[in-house]
Amino acid sequence: MPRVKRGVTTHHRHKKVLELTKGHRATRHTLVKRSKESMIKALSYSYAHRRERKGDMRKLWIVRIGAAARAQGVTYGEFMNNLKVTGVEINRKLLADMAVKEPAAFASLVATAKK
Amino acid sequence: MMKTYSPKASEIKREWHVIDAKDEVLGKLSTRIATLLMGKHKAMFARNADVGDFVVVINAEKIKFTGKKGEQKMYYRHSGYPGGLKTISLDKLMETKPEQVIEHAVKGMLPRNLLNAKMMKRLRVFTGETHPYTLKKEKTAKTTAPAAN
Repeated sequence: MPRVKRGVTTHHRHKKVLELTKGHRATRHTLVKRSKESMIKALSYSYAHRRERKGDMRKLWIVRIGAAARAQGVTYGEFMNNLKVTGVEINRKLLADMAVKEPAAFASLVATAKK
Repeated sequence: MMKTYSPKASEIKREWHVIDAKDEVLGKLSTRIATLLMGKHKAMFARNADVGDFVVVINAEKIKFTGKKGEQKMYYRHSGYPGGLKTISLDKLMETKPEQVIEHAVKGMLPRNLLNAKMMKRLRVFTGETHPYTLKKEKTAKTTAPAAN
């Protein structure tokens, strides 16, 4: 049986953790123990926030659509209801994009939905 | 997959709005100002970018309040020393620094982050009918009545 030194695997394990916590504050990127705690938190936050991002984006689209609609004299709620009644099925992501990049098209959409 | 638009610094156009505070209610006026400063009235709005406009407020001393706020609304600040709490009522502050009343109200309505200071820099409050800025006619005319949020 060859002799196994435990320091090597330990070092590899520690190195993996320290690589992940580069740029963390103070001892959280230098000490292995603190760094491991930091890593667990950081990874769980990033997992959770990747999911939250879907909602964040939708909120942003709603603010943008609302701003563009108000400039045409309708509130967000009225506009969305008008779209629904007229049977226009454009999602909020596209509407927000139109509002920024093609204000003329957005304005005509507001006008057609009003009728 | 298309990406949601994100404003670039070169695409941000800032307008100047002149708002007459005469007979306006403090809070209702402040929400309008805050919206303009944040740029929430623009379709390119983004929380991480400073896309807001400039706002010039005139007649700050002629603002209105509802209820008994004059005597009852207090402004506090603390020097950090024991017994260093200074209290001043709204009426008193209106006598000395009416600009501060509007600035304080608006500041509280803006996001509490690093953009807050940048946005506040674009708010200019003045007493009296005049302000020291020369603005193009059409812009001031167009924006005296910003869509009441």
